Amino acid sequence: MTPAYAELHCLSNFSFQRGASSAEELFERAARLGYHALAITDECTLAGIVRAWHASQQTGISLIVGSEFRIEGGPKFVALVENLLGYQALCRLITRARRRAAKGQYRLLHEDLDESLEGLLAIWLPKRADEDADGHWLQARFPERLWLGVELHRGAGDQARLQALQALASRMGIAAVACGDVHMHARGRRALQDCMTAIRHHSTVMASGAHLYPNGERHLRTRDDLAGLYPEPLLAETLRIAARCHFDFAQLQYQYPHELVPAEHDAASWLRVLVEEGMQWRWPDGVSASIRKQLDHEVRLISELEYESYFLTVHDIVRFARERGILCQGRGSAANSAVCYALGITEIDPTQANLLFERFISRERNEPPDIDVDFEHDRREEVIQYIFSRYGRQRAALTAVASTYHASGAIRDIAKVLGLTPELIDTLAGCCGRWSDRIPDEERLREAGFDPASPWLHRILVLAGELIGFPRHLSQHPGGFVISEHALETLVPVENASMPERTVIQWDKDDLDRVGLLKVDILSLGMLSALRRCFALIERYRGITWTLASLPKEDRATYEMISRADTVGVFQIESRAQMAMLPRLRPKTFYDLVIQVAIVRPGPNQGDMVHPYLRRRNGEERVVYPSDELQPVFERTLGVPLFQEQVMQLAIIAADYTPGEADELRRAMAAWKRHGGLEPHRKRLTERMLAKGYEQAFITRIFEQIKGFGSYGFPESHAASFALLTYASSWLKCHEPAAYACALINSWPMGFYNPDQILQDARRHSLEIRPVDACRSDWDCTLEASEGEQPAIRLGLRLIRGFRQADAHRMTEARQGGPFMDVEDLCKRAALDKRARASLADGGALHSLTGHRHQARWTIAGIEPQLPLFANVVTPEPSASLPPPSVGEDLLADYASLGTTLGPHPLALLRQELRARRCRSSRELTELAQGRLVSVAGVVIGRQRPQTASGVIFVTLEDEFGMINVIVWHDLAERQRRVLLNARLLRVDGNLEVASGVRHVIAGRLSDLTPLLTGLDVRSRDFQ
Amino acid sequence: MLWACILLPQLALDGVLRTRSDADTPLALLTGTSQRRTLKVVNPAARALGLKPGQTLRAALALTNDFATAEYDLTEIDRSLQLLAAWAYGFSSQVSLRYPRCLLMEVGASLDLFGPWPRFEARLRQELDTLGFRHRITAASNPAAARALANSHERLAVTEDTSLRAALEALPVAHCGLSPDATTGLIRMGIKNLKHLLSMSRDSLARRFPAEVLVQLDTLLGHRALALDFYSPPDLFDARVELNFEVTSHQALLFPLHRLIGDLAIYLTARDSGVQQFDLILEHRDRSETRVPVGLLNAERDPDMLLEVTRGRLEHLQLPSPVLALRLVARDLPAFTPTARGLFDKRPQQSLSRDQLCERLRARLGDDAVQSVAALADHRPECSGLFQPIGQTGHDEQIAALPETGPRPAWLLPKPIPLNESSVRILSGPERIESGWWDGDDIRRDYYQIETRKGQVGWAYRDLRGDGRLYLHGWFS
Repeated sequence: MTPAYAELHCLSNFSFQRGASSAEELFERAARLGYHALAITDECTLAGIVRAWHASQQTGISLIVGSEFRIEGGPKFVALVENLLGYQALCRLITRARRRAAKGQYRLLHEDLDESLEGLLAIWLPKRADEDADGHWLQARFPERLWLGVELHRGAGDQARLQALQALASRMGIAAVACGDVHMHARGRRALQDCMTAIRHHSTVMASGAHLYPNGERHLRTRDDLAGLYPEPLLAETLRIAARCHFDFAQLQYQYPHELVPAEHDAASWLRVLVEEGMQWRWPDGVSASIRKQLDHEVRLISELEYESYFLTVHDIVRFARERGILCQGRGSAANSAVCYALGITEIDPTQANLLFERFISRERNEPPDIDVDFEHDRREEVIQYIFSRYGRQRAALTAVASTYHASGAIRDIAKVLGLTPELIDTLAGCCGRWSDRIPDEERLREAGFDPASPWLHRILVLAGELIGFPRHLSQHPGGFVISEHALETLVPVENASMPERTVIQWDKDDLDRVGLLKVDILSLGMLSALRRCFALIERYRGITWTLASLPKEDRATYEMISRADTVGVFQIESRAQMAMLPRLRPKTFYDLVIQVAIVRPGPNQGDMVHPYLRRRNGEERVVYPSDELQPVFERTLGVPLFQEQVMQLAIIAADYTPGEADELRRAMAAWKRHGGLEPHRKRLTERMLAKGYEQAFITRIFEQIKGFGSYGFPESHAASFALLTYASSWLKCHEPAAYACALINSWPMGFYNPDQILQDARRHSLEIRPVDACRSDWDCTLEASEGEQPAIRLGLRLIRGFRQADAHRMTEARQGGPFMDVEDLCKRAALDKRARASLADGGALHSLTGHRHQARWTIAGIEPQLPLFANVVTPEPSASLPPPSVGEDLLADYASLGTTLGPHPLALLRQELRARRCRSSRELTELAQGRLVSVAGVVIGRQRPQTASGVIFVTLEDEFGMINVIVWHDLAERQRRVLLNARLLRVDGNLEVASGVRHVIAGRLSDLTPLLTGLDVRSRDFQ
Repeated sequence: MLWACILLPQLALDGVLRTRSDADTPLALLTGTSQRRTLKVVNPAARALGLKPGQTLRAALALTNDFATAEYDLTEIDRSLQLLAAWAYGFSSQVSLRYPRCLLMEVGASLDLFGPWPRFEARLRQELDTLGFRHRITAASNPAAARALANSHERLAVTEDTSLRAALEALPVAHCGLSPDATTGLIRMGIKNLKHLLSMSRDSLARRFPAEVLVQLDTLLGHRALALDFYSPPDLFDARVELNFEVTSHQALLFPLHRLIGDLAIYLTARDSGVQQFDLILEHRDRSETRVPVGLLNAERDPDMLLEVTRGRLEHLQLPSPVLALRLVARDLPAFTPTARGLFDKRPQQSLSRDQLCERLRARLGDDAVQSVAALADHRPECSGLFQPIGQTGHDEQIAALPETGPRPAWLLPKPIPLNESSVRILSGPERIESGWWDGDDIRRDYYQIETRKGQVGWAYRDLRGDGRLYLHGWFS
C-alpha cells in the first residue's frame, strides 16, 4: 500500500545557489504525488515563503513554514513553525542570525537558541550517528519538540546509516522521522542543481566533483519509492509533525503605527479633523456641495476599511517634507482622491479633473490603498532618515526586491561553470538584450559565430533557460517602506542591506500585497527638484510666489508650445517619441496631457493602439465602441483602451470578472513576462466575451494589449499625477523660460537632455546666456537683470568639471568683502588650492581677471604659496608672450571643462566645410518638401532602439540651428553598425519624410565625420 | 660618443605576432578583470576594423568578432626586451633599458667593428626585421636627445652639436621627454615646441614647474650628463610563446619552436656561451604542463643543430592534450668550446637518476608505456582516476578534495562486462550514481557489491536507462 507522506525538509530557489526549483514547481509536484503537506525550509530565510504560501493555496497542499539552519560550530537542524508564537520566534531567529552577518550571509550562534523557541519544532540532522552531545543540547532547547531526521539518498551506506540513526534516536528517547533534503522538484533538475553548486563554489562543474551530489535523489520522490527506502514508522512520523503545524499567514496581526493620533482622538476622528483643516486650506472660499459629498464618502470608506492609519502615516511624511520645503507629489490609485488633495498628499484638484477618481479604493475590491510619493531626488534621503528616526529601526524598514536572473546573467553564470573562456562568455551573453528574459534565437547565435547545433551550446542554453526568472539575491527597494506598530521582526525577518545603516525585510512588494501589509513608496523625482528651484528663482527675481496648485490652469500659450513639440526639458513629453507625437495629438486640455503621457509607452504601442486613438481624435476614423455597456469605460479615450484601469473594468463588465478576479488580472499583467500565468485569463476572457457576443478580433486585440501592458502598463492614476508635473513644467518653460532652464541645469543630472542641450535650446529661444565668471558666478546658475523681459542666465561654477562646491562657497563669501583685484587676490581670499585654480582657468572663469585661457593657466601656475613673512611681497615677473587659443581650441576646451560652449556651435565652425560636402542644416531642412533626397550632418546626441520597433534605431543629430531626427532601418543599421555606434559627428544621406509637421530623414547611407570634429583645434585657425 | 636609440613602438604586439605565422591578422591584446576585459593595444589591421585601445572587449565584439586576442602580459613584454637587450649586447657593451620600450646603446666605440653608422644602422634594422620587431632608430651625441628625437623621427642621426640644437628646437613639447603633467601644463599654456619653451625665462619656468623640467632641458642639450645603468646578460634563458589556437599536431609546433630556438641561439651568441641541457615545456588548458628535457653531449649553440635535436625529442612525444603555449628554459649554460673530440674519448660511467631512468625507459618503450596514476574528484567511477605521463602532477585542485563515496574497487575494468545474474550474489547496494551530464557522458546507475560463486567480490551496476542487466565494472581484490 502506498503510504501517506509529508515532506518536512525542502529548499526552494530562495535558498540561493542551492534550491533548483521554484515553490510553484514544488507544490505542483507534491500535489501530483499526493503528498499530505510540504514544508518549505529555505536556509535561514523566509524570503520565498509568501510565494510558497500562494502556491500552497493554488494546489491545496498545506504549507508548513520552516527554515534550515546550521549553527556556527554546531549542529544542523530544520525549524518548523507550529503556531503564531513559533512563527514569531522563527522570524526573530533569522533576524538575529542575518543582522549579525554581511548582506546575503548569516551567523547563527548557540546563544541565539537561549531565547524562547516556543511554537517551533525542530528536526535535527546529524552528520554522523555519534554526535549525541549536539542532540542533547538541542533537546534541552526543544523539549518534547525534537526529532531526528533520517535522510536516505541511495548511497552505499544507507542501511548502516539508517540503523545507526535509529539507535541514536532510541538512545536519546526521541522519534526518528523521514526527510528528503529536497533541492529540486524533479530529477530532471539535477544538471541545474549541479550548476548552482558550482556557482556557489566559484568553480566549474568539472572541478566541483567533491561538492556535487552523487545522484539526483534530492527531489520530491514518489511515495512508493519512499516506501522502499524508509521503514513505515519513519514515514508515519511525518504526518504527526505535519498535524501539529497549523500556522497560517492569515493569523498575522499587522497594525499601522498609532502614535500619530493625539491622545484625545482615535484614528478616525483625527483623520476627520485633518481633512477639515485641509478643506479650509485648499478651498479658502468654501467647499462646494459635491466636493463635500465626495470627501464624506471617501472618509467613510476609509474608516470602514480601517485604513485611517495608513493615510495618517502618509500625511505625516508629506507634512514633514512640506515643513522642510521639500517638494513632493503623491500618485497611485488612492492618491487621486479628494482626501489626499485635502491632506496635501497630491496637488491634483478634484474639481479640475473630476473624471479621474473612479478608481479609488473600493469596498468590493478590498484592495489595499496604494500611494507612492515622489520627492525631490536630492532631498529624499532627509525623508528616509525622518522615517527611521520617527519610528525607529525596529519598526520601519525598506522592502526587498528579489533580483531575478535575466537571460544574459543566466547565460553568464551557466557558461562560466561549464568552463567557457571569458571572451566566449562575453560574446554569448552579448547575444541577449539587456533585460531580455529569452534565450537568444539561432540566427543571433549564428551571427555571433556560434553553432547552435553543438551539444555544449545546447546544454548551456537549456540550463540558462531553466535559470531565467530564478531569484539570485535580495536587494533593497529604492524606497518602499514598511512601518509597523510592533517590532517588524515579529512579522517578517529583517536583514542587512548593502548600504550601511539600512535594513531590509525579506519580502518584496508582491509578498506584502498577499499578506496584507501596507507600504509607502518614498520615491525620488528630479523634476520636483527642478520645479522647486524654479519657483525659488522666480520668487527671488520677480517676487512672485508660485506653487504647483496655484499655477494658472489650462493656459493656451502653454498648450500651443506643447503642440509645436517645443518641449526640450519638459517632464515626460521631451523624448524623441513624445515629440513626434505632440504635433499630431495637439493637447488642448489637462486630460489630453494625461493621455499623451500614457500613449507613448511601449505598452499601448505593442498592443497596436496608439494610432487608432490618433486617427479617431483627428476625425480620420469613426469613434465606435465594442458594445454599449463598454461605452462609459472607453468614452474618454474615444473607444481605445489606453489605461490599466480600463482593462480591469472591461474584464468586470464584459467578462463578468469579480473585482477580486480583476485584481488578479492586474497582477498577472504585471508579472506574466516573468512568471507566465496569463493563459487562464486569456481563456476565461475569450470564452466569456464570445458568449456575450463580442467579436473574436476585438478580443484578440484587447488581449495583445494586455500583454503589452505587462511591463509598462500605465495606470491612469499615475498618468494623471505625472501630467500635472508635465503641465507645470510646460507652463514654466513657456512663461519663465530663463528661470526654468536655469533650474533644470541646477538640478542636473535628470531628464533626457544635458545642460549643453538645454542651453542650446535656450539660445535658440533668444535667451541671453552669460559665461562662468569667477567674479560673478555662484555655484548654481543664477538669473541676472537684462534689458529684455526675460532675465539673463549666468552660468554657475557647478558647470566646471571637477570644481568643488565648498570652493565655490568660499568664493561667493570672499566676494562679499569687495571685488577681486586679480587672480592672486582671488586665490588668496577664497583659499583656493591648485586643483580649484586649475579648474577655474580651464573653465574660462578667469577671463575677466587675466585674459584668455593660456594666459590664465600661466598666471595661476605662477601663484606661489604665501609665506607669512612675505605676505604682501609681490615678486615681479617678466611678462610671458603666449598666443591666444584658436576658436577651435576654445571650443574643445569649453566642452572639456564645461560640457557646453557659449561660442559658436561646433557645426557653425564646420558649416563651410559641410556645405562643400552638400550637407544641409536643420534650418534648411524645414523648407524642403516630402520625399526629397537630402544630406545632413550633425553631432549625435541620441541613439535609441525602442523595444517595440523591430530593430529600428532613432538617431538625433544636433547642429547650430536645432535637431534633426533620423530613422535608421534594421538592415542599414546592421550593415553600417560601426559608423552608427562610433560616429560623434554623423553624415546621413537619405529621404526626407514629412508628416503632420514632423520631419525625419530616412537614412540610406551613413558616414563618420568625427575627424572633422576632433581636428578642430588644429585646423580652426582658418576661422579666426 | 654616439648614442643610438632603438624605439620599439609595437613591442607588446610584436612579441605576440612574431610567434605566429599569420602576422597580418587583426590582433588585440587584452587586459582587465574577467568581468571587464578591455583592449590594451591593437595592431593596424585591428585598428582598420574600428578597434581602439581602451575599448571594452564587449564593445569591440559588438563591432566585429573577426580578430584574434591575446593577453597583454607584462612579463612577456619584459622577456622580449631582455631578448633584445641580449641581442644588442652583441654590438655594444653599453646597452641601457632606462626608457620603456626602448634600447639605448653607445655605438661610437663600435663603429670600428661594424662600419660607419649608416652601414651599422642598416645591419641593426635588418636583424630587427628578422627578429620581428618594428623599430625606429635615431642617433645623437647624448642619449636623452637620441631618445627624444625618436619620438618625432623614424630615422635620424645628428652628429654635430649645432645641428642637434636645431633638430631639438623643432620638437613638439609632447616629444621632449617631460613628465605628462608638465607636458600638458605647457601645451595648455599655448607653448607648442621646444623652441618656444627655451625662449621662456628660466626663473618663470622654475616658479611654475618642478625642477625636472629644467633638468631635462639641460640634459637634452647635453649640458648635463645622464646617469645610466648598463645591461648585463643574465645566467638563465627563459622564453615563452603563447599559441593563438589549440595545437594538436607536432607539425604546428615547429614554427614557434623555431622562434624559440632562434632566440636561444641569439642569446647564447651574445653572451658567448653554449647550452648543454634545457627543458621544453608544453602548456595545456586543462592539465598540467608537459616537460620535455633535452640533453646534449656537449655545449652547443648552433640553431639548426639545437632545433634538430629538440624536434627529434618532440616527435617521440604523444601530445597528451592540445598545446596552448611553449616555453623554453635553459639554466645550464657552460662556456662554448667548439667540439674537438679526442680519439680515445672515454664516456663517464652513467649512474641514472629516477628522471633519467624514466627518460631512458620512455625513449626505449615509448611515451605511453611509462605512466603514473592520479585520482580525480568525479562521481563517475570511470572518470575518478587517470593515468598520466610521469612527472606530471595535474588537477591539484581536484585531488585535494575528493568526494566521500562508498567502497571502490582498486581494479576497474576498462569496459564493463555483462554478468549472468544467477551466477552471483548481491552483497550490498544499491548505491545510486547519477553524474557527468556536462561532457555528454552522463551516467545513471545503481551499483552493487556482488560475490561470484568462486568467492570473488566484484562491483557491478544496473543502468537505470538500460536493459536492466547487471554489468561487472571492477574487482575488489
